[in-house]
Amino acid sequence: MATAVRATMTRGSSASLEEAKHRVVDFFREVCRYLPSIMDRYNLYEVITPAQLRSQISAQFRKHSDVTNRKVIDLLVFKGQEELQYCLDHAKQRHHLLSTYVVGREGMVQHNKLGVLDHGESEFLKNFYQSNSL
Amino acid sequence: MVRGSKCYKVLQARGNANFRCLISPGCKAATEAPAEGTILRRNAAPISDSGYCRSFNYAAFSSTKCSQPESCTRIPLNLMRALANRSIDVSSLGASSSVQRTPVCSGSTGLIGSGGGLQSVRHLQTLAVTPTGPKIIKADTEETIEVSVDGHSLQIPKGMTVLQACEVAGKEIPRFCYHSRLSIAGNCRMCLVEVEKTPKPVASCAMPALPGMKIKTDTPLVKKAREGVMEFLLLNHPLDCPICDQGGECDLQDQSMVFGSDRGRFTDTKRSVVDKNLGPLVKTVMTRCIHCTRCVRFASEIAGVPDLGVLGRGGSEEIGTYVENLMTSELSGNVIDICPVGALTSKPFAFTARSWELKSTESIDVSDALGSNIRIDSRGPEVMRIIPRLNEEVNEEWISDKTRFSYDGLKRQRLNEPMIRRPGGYLEPVTWRAALSAVAQAVHQVKPEEMAGVVGKLADAESIIALKDFLNKLGCENTWCEGIGANIDADVRSKYLLNTTIAGVENADVFLLIGTQVRKEAPLLNARIRKAVRNNRAKVATIGPPIDLTYDHEDLGDGTDALIQIAEGKHPFSTLLSKAQHPVVIVGAGVFERSDKDAVMAVVETIVDQAKVVRDDWNGFNVLLLEAAHAAALDLGFVPGVTAKLLSKDHLKFLYLLGADDIKPDDIPKDAFVVYQGHHGDRSAYRANVILPGAAFTEKEGTYESTEGRTQQTSPAVPSVGDARDDWKIIRALSEVVGVQLPYDSVSAVRARFLAVSPNLFRVDELEPPTVWPQSITPRSSSSKIESSPFIKAIDNFYMTNSICRASRTMAQCTSAFANLKQI
Repeated sequence: MATAVRATMTRGSSASLEEAKHRVVDFFREVCRYLPSIMDRYNLYEVITPAQLRSQISAQFRKHSDVTNRKVIDLLVFKGQEELQYCLDHAKQRHHLLSTYVVGREGMVQHNKLGVLDHGESEFLKNFYQSNSL
Repeated sequence: MVRGSKCYKVLQARGNANFRCLISPGCKAATEAPAEGTILRRNAAPISDSGYCRSFNYAAFSSTKCSQPESCTRIPLNLMRALANRSIDVSSLGASSSVQRTPVCSGSTGLIGSGGGLQSVRHLQTLAVTPTGPKIIKADTEETIEVSVDGHSLQIPKGMTVLQACEVAGKEIPRFCYHSRLSIAGNCRMCLVEVEKTPKPVASCAMPALPGMKIKTDTPLVKKAREGVMEFLLLNHPLDCPICDQGGECDLQDQSMVFGSDRGRFTDTKRSVVDKNLGPLVKTVMTRCIHCTRCVRFASEIAGVPDLGVLGRGGSEEIGTYVENLMTSELSGNVIDICPVGALTSKPFAFTARSWELKSTESIDVSDALGSNIRIDSRGPEVMRIIPRLNEEVNEEWISDKTRFSYDGLKRQRLNEPMIRRPGGYLEPVTWRAALSAVAQAVHQVKPEEMAGVVGKLADAESIIALKDFLNKLGCENTWCEGIGANIDADVRSKYLLNTTIAGVENADVFLLIGTQVRKEAPLLNARIRKAVRNNRAKVATIGPPIDLTYDHEDLGDGTDALIQIAEGKHPFSTLLSKAQHPVVIVGAGVFERSDKDAVMAVVETIVDQAKVVRDDWNGFNVLLLEAAHAAALDLGFVPGVTAKLLSKDHLKFLYLLGADDIKPDDIPKDAFVVYQGHHGDRSAYRANVILPGAAFTEKEGTYESTEGRTQQTSPAVPSVGDARDDWKIIRALSEVVGVQLPYDSVSAVRARFLAVSPNLFRVDELEPPTVWPQSITPRSSSSKIESSPFIKAIDNFYMTNSICRASRTMAQCTSAFANLKQI
């Protein structure tokens, strides 16, 4: 019962920044080890390759590359483990993964790119293309 | 004439802070009239306003120039009516001084004002809404009597009932059968009060107040009497409130909480009554009926269809149609509102929502040109029901069945995303950007004179002005509004509006209806005419297709022959018309589309001149427009421009349809590029090359002008569906893509444009008085020859007139249910 063990696993805070960074790398490797099984059970092969998914996940890590506070790093790792646990427990459904890792948050907002691109339109027309309520 | 001082006494004697309404400090010295130009305004209050009883209707009055608005509290409507019927000096109520000077005569027929200008006549009408049914006891106008209510003595006009006297005193009397717009039945006994020196409690609604009467409304006897009546009413009333659609807005429920006993002594079985089938609109659960007979009186007095009646007596009394018969009235839905219990409820609304879950939005109806005030009750994104809102000058408290029940069409056949027709003929959903650039491409390929813009029936004024500006900027003046004919005269406002006003029609005594089926075109106007027939014994003659108007009328034939005879003075009706005090001529939609329309209108104008239908103080010439968009379209000049070449339709290469669904596909050339902007996938959407989804009237804030020239606004009750946009925004966006950008970015900027084109559209909720009748200023275009062909029926099926109705299941059920009946 590897998952049951993992779910109960807690650790004290890192003693140093090095240890915190080490934990991050460890966690990334752990995620990578679980990737094939996640791809499998969420049927993701038809929308993304394992390499692409891995780089999407590493992008999530890099998003926080500027964090230097070890307590914050520990917390982010903990949250990442929690997220992984949800994936493994099937507490998530396919569209959760699709929206977070496959298309990305931005891709889910309709016409967002269209509104952002500047064709020399007036503010009115930009808003018009986006929504009726703007 | 009762002077203001006496009137003041009446108001003062009530003593209740809630009713201490003297409107402005100027009125306090009641012999002093308010300043010149003070306008009495009526703000419509929602029907279910009082805490516990729907039957108590109020209208709040306030003076626009009131220096202390917070002191303006309410006057019960019944009091206003009663006062006005007895021609009390209205100046003490804050009316303008011109009203004060207006000589007023009263009697059983209500008020007829003369002199003082049309404006003041209208204000008087506001006050003088005569109930149709009850015969008001003819009173010497000077006479008031003194009665006492619960120890407070007060002066009331002679002829008031005890119930009205109590209302003046600020005491609300519970009632079921009494309704201020219906005749008095006096059969529910809920309004029992004690009168000194009478052996038993009296039914206050049916008892005239007599001098020196000492009325008591809060004695133990009264309390016990009400409790007893309530116990009897509940004997046979089923305990199905949890599944009753009236639950939460039921008079019986509310009044039993306030006046009923906390326990009953009833152990027997309850009687049950077979439900009646009144058609697809009104659901009946007759076991719940308490026999107040409001529905019976409504049907026979206001709707004018004596379909309902009372059968049996005592324990076997039932409301019914005697033989199985549908209720064949366009106003039948109103019996749902006046039923104090859950016996008559809405069939389409049944079991769909409870009243307390609904969000109410005050809005305007667009199914006909009257602009009835409505309340849209919605839950989430869905319109659950539509019910009337009180507006004495427009719809009183009634609405037509089409207004009330066609809302389910708002959920079907909706256009929710832009679409482009591909070469294969199928419509492909696209983005707004793609759709607009497709239209722009088409616009750039045609010459301005090959373009045309058509406005449909439900368009709001904002989108009409935007479309007009857009097309004019492109150089196209080939614009028209569907349903009012190509050669309508939009120059003089009084020549296309209902000048007498909807409420003013009540005062008329002779009617000439030309080419109109009022009952189908505007059922509520028909109810007003019926009121005039009942109260003033008005004579009605029709020239046009034969129709049952629900009142006696003379059918002068369906062609123009009778019209010409009247104009030449050879017809017996012409003397009747010229002798009339307040004649009314109504020209309807059957005339608009005729090829000889100008000649017909010239004949009508001759009649108007000869019979002096238009005078200094009375404008009896009326045009009854058919659809909600018409008056605004004409005011904004959405008619073919002077430079518009009257090309045959074959030359059109680009057609912009703003919700125009009545244009026949055969009239559109095969190679024309058709843009359809609208909210329903109705007829024209099948022909469209590009579809731009707009918002329906329940989803946008749109300005509409009614046929009498009243500007009103809808308010959004639910969000627009899918990727649809507000209509004026679509045209504004398109104009930018095409390259002729319109200069407004917000709805307030569009309305600022109204100020330049037609300022009356900017003044919402106001009736712009019609312009002066032009005396031989405009040349009569009598050059064209008048034909003797019969006037056409503008509406064939009352229930299927616009795209919303045509998508409505309820309206389809009505159509099939009433198809075999000859009247509808």
